[in-house]
Amino acid sequence: MKHVFVVIAIFLTALFLTSCSKHRAPAAELNLFAWSEYVPQEVIDGFQKETGIKVNYEAYDSNEAMITKLSQNPCGYDLVQPSEYAVENLIRRNMLSPIDMAQVPNIKNLEPAFRDLPYDPGQKYSVPYMSGTTGIVYNAATVKTPPTGFADVFVPKNKGRVVAVNDNREIVGWAFDVLKIPLNDVTPDNLAKARPLIQSWLPIVKVFDSDNPRAPLLSGDCDIGVVFGGDAAKLYEQDHKFKYVLPAEGTHQFIDNLCIPVGAAHKSAAHQFINYILRPEVSKIISDEFPYTNPNGEAKKLLSTSQLENPASYPKLEHSEVFHDIGPASQKITAMMTELRGG
Amino acid sequence: MSEAIQASSDARRASMRAWLMLSPLLAWLLVFVIAPTAILVVYSFLTGGEFGEVRWRFTLDNYRAILHSIYLVIFLRSLFYAAITTVLCVLAGYPAAYFIGRSPARWRGMLLLLVMIPFLTSFLIRAYAWFIILRQNGVLNSILEASRIIPTIFPHRIELLYTPVAVVIALVYAYLPFMILPIYGSVEKLDESLLEAAADLGAGPIGTGWRVILPLTWPGVAAGVLLVFVPSVAMFAVTSIMSGGRVTLIGDAIEQQFGSGGNIPVGAALGVALLALFLLSALLVQRRRA
Repeated sequence: MKHVFVVIAIFLTALFLTSCSKHRAPAAELNLFAWSEYVPQEVIDGFQKETGIKVNYEAYDSNEAMITKLSQNPCGYDLVQPSEYAVENLIRRNMLSPIDMAQVPNIKNLEPAFRDLPYDPGQKYSVPYMSGTTGIVYNAATVKTPPTGFADVFVPKNKGRVVAVNDNREIVGWAFDVLKIPLNDVTPDNLAKARPLIQSWLPIVKVFDSDNPRAPLLSGDCDIGVVFGGDAAKLYEQDHKFKYVLPAEGTHQFIDNLCIPVGAAHKSAAHQFINYILRPEVSKIISDEFPYTNPNGEAKKLLSTSQLENPASYPKLEHSEVFHDIGPASQKITAMMTELRGG
Repeated sequence: MSEAIQASSDARRASMRAWLMLSPLLAWLLVFVIAPTAILVVYSFLTGGEFGEVRWRFTLDNYRAILHSIYLVIFLRSLFYAAITTVLCVLAGYPAAYFIGRSPARWRGMLLLLVMIPFLTSFLIRAYAWFIILRQNGVLNSILEASRIIPTIFPHRIELLYTPVAVVIALVYAYLPFMILPIYGSVEKLDESLLEAAADLGAGPIGTGWRVILPLTWPGVAAGVLLVFVPSVAMFAVTSIMSGGRVTLIGDAIEQQFGSGGNIPVGAALGVALLALFLLSALLVQRRRA
């Protein structure tokens, strides 16, 4: 019996040793940890063919899930794709490795508005991938009075017709917008204020889905929703009856980035990939498949007028906010949402 | 004296051989059962920090956290769904297993293969197939409309996808083979002469079924119930997809702590609690038998 315990102890120690092994074979590989439905297969294939580097694409559906997995497996990924507030979080926790911009000359293609952003002063750690908004999409064929804000979506008459992004920070943000609380003021008091409002919204929602909120809208199971702009833009491309509005109460803009984790084993491959997706013709492929706001000015020149005029891809942003890293307060959000949604 | 030494060395050699023969099984248990469980238990006593952070400091806070009533609600809900699933699997699986077990021997292999064919594709993909069947403009509603059942019997298209019913359908679909296979095993072993004897002694089909066939195949049913109920309680992801993210089961709650919740020790504590409950109920069942 004693031997068994010794073996278990050795086994456990081996598993808990998370320090990155330095003599891992420098195989031609790139472990990409990115949002689901965000990196076109065509781009991955093109990169593999040109460089001979094999890309392993693992997907996540929220920044929080990505950060959790990355902290548990700090050497497992060479590229991650955090949104702006997640970049702040990762920088603060020393989890990112500086990007050598000399190896990424194509960064010159980015529009000035997407260079040196507040969440990464001096742009040391992040390169914007795509940007977008969260807003309201509706099927104009069945929804006769166009909604203007969250207050028109989460009403009892829409019960069973609403699809929403499955992201707790987003949902809490919408309630804050309605209550005129600044998005990043996530205090216990403000959460308590938002709680009854969210509680009244939850039964109205039929589907929570961040990966493919388009499906229930296309199949007719839902006809109104709060989704990411790229999904709304894709719906609009398929059928112009899907309209997109930025909520009157306020909205927020997100900027998703490519970053290299500190423990990445294939940093050179990661730099090559970042530079590759910044090429105008490659970036255009991303816009074709996932029509978010493309920060790449040179790529935008290659887009068609109809792509640039898609109101969900390039909405007129007036009063939008940006999420910031709120540290441990985000776990308060999870706790509250678990109680509200699990009960 | 020398005989005794000889005997004890023989015994030792025999026991060595027994251990050697058992070693693959022991290694398997160690790697896939004991080690993961041990890791889970260790993690459940560590301190969780910010997203995904785990600190090497002993704490009981995780167990305090899971005493929250919300987890009791979620757990009872999981038991409820698993119970419904098990009952439906028995009702659907027993006749199927009986039919396969009593069919001509040359067909049985083929019929069993049909039961197992779905395993060749990923369950997640098959779950998406249910989307096409159950959604509002899906296959099922189209058939009902074409056959005029809508609007004669049901006034509107039936809403199934993104409802608790869809969750149960997914669970039954996932675990039905685990009910059919063990029952089939018992049915196949059924002694024909006992059925004849029952008929000779004046039992009708119902009497034979209730008093002879059912008791004889009961071990298969019991095994099936265990094989279906236990994994149903802990099922996740698919159940969440089918309900549109609205039915939270214990598996989803655990997964969430390891994912977007970012508190791995709390997730581990939930896992340990679930495991402990299973062990406890298994012990109780065993004691009752003894």
